[in-house]
Amino acid sequence: MNSDLGTRSADASVEELMDAYVDGSARAFDELYRRVAPNLFAYLLRLTRNRERAEDLLQITFSKIHRARSSYLRGAPLLPWILAIARRSFLDERRSASTRSEELSSDGTLPEPRASEAELPADLSDALERALDNLPEAYREAIQLTKIAGLSIAEAAGVLGATETAVKLRVHRGYAQLRKHLETFHRHT
Amino acid sequence: MTGAPPPDPLAELPWPKPVAPPAELSASIRKSCTEDIQSRRGLTASQRLLASMALSLGVFAVLAWLARGHSTDATFRAALFGAAGWGIVQAAVLWAGLWKPPGKRGAPHLRLVLAVVLPIAFLFYVGFVAPEWVSFGEFAQGDRASHAVACGFVGLLFSAVLSGGVLLLWRGTDPLTPGLTGALAGLVGGLGGGLAIGVACPSHEAWHACFSHGLGVLAFVGLGWAVGRRLLTP
Repeated sequence: MNSDLGTRSADASVEELMDAYVDGSARAFDELYRRVAPNLFAYLLRLTRNRERAEDLLQITFSKIHRARSSYLRGAPLLPWILAIARRSFLDERRSASTRSEELSSDGTLPEPRASEAELPADLSDALERALDNLPEAYREAIQLTKIAGLSIAEAAGVLGATETAVKLRVHRGYAQLRKHLETFHRHT
Repeated sequence: MTGAPPPDPLAELPWPKPVAPPAELSASIRKSCTEDIQSRRGLTASQRLLASMALSLGVFAVLAWLARGHSTDATFRAALFGAAGWGIVQAAVLWAGLWKPPGKRGAPHLRLVLAVVLPIAFLFYVGFVAPEWVSFGEFAQGDRASHAVACGFVGLLFSAVLSGGVLLLWRGTDPLTPGLTGALAGLVGGLGGGLAIGVACPSHEAWHACFSHGLGVLAFVGLGWAVGRRLLTP
């Protein structure tokens, strides 16, 4: 059934593509990567706040997916499955490196804000990016998963290992902080 | 005046778009994931469930066979009926907690309730159906105590074999709630070991049944939680 997915992969769901990939279809993997990688990379970028680490983690995540593809249970929603693997890789990496997500300067202190960070945001997108970056990690992650990656509250709760109520609360509090940040931006423009 | 809920002021924001990874990195990942790619279909969820049940049944059957003649027919038959009932519970736990794909297994707190309530229910069950009852002081001394330790050790050994087997059968299948799924795998293995030793053991005293046959289930729920967090994550 999955062998002909290669020819009609554009219509297939990501779960069907994963099935075809498990059955050995390289074309299905290409299409799967095209659809999933941008969301995953955006998630990792916001999680690490560091492009190189996000790139490393993207590679590690896909390597894990490749090795574990035989244990993917048919019918499991794929994006939460992949995001959970990515998140665990991030936590493992952070634990083993025992470093904070901020980069230290050569003398071991926290870096000064870049010039662009001290300036007013150029537009609403920029303001939103900065407001998201300023949120506490738990709120930022909850908003990233539900609002940007498009997961349901239940799926986000699965990825984060939290209850649905906790995720709703984090999103709600994150929204409240975003609103404050953006009001400041609107007052200045 | 009631009307439609006020629109979300954040709904129309220019949320960040997904970010395409660098082309070189994408090419490298694509190459490593598709080079010499072959079909690698693992066991289906149903096959894993059947194998888990077969493992539990196999251990139970071996111990029941070895134990035939240790008890009276009526006691042995009662133990078999009890085991059949708990076997259904095991199957239900496997179905609800492991068979369904991750993300479709229902609310985690309900599965957590299963993982906590069922071992306690099993502990009460083995205590209440035991036909003999001695004081705790009598149980904790002499031959009874040493037999309880030996029997508990054998029960733990069989529970470990079953829990380990079930965890291995479901290895790498759940990145979402691996701890909870591991706890349920431990519950299935612990119940299997407890039931098997319950049929094989010649002692039918309540304290003995609780400590040597029932308590191990709780231990394996905890162990399953700890091991599952590593083993069930891809």
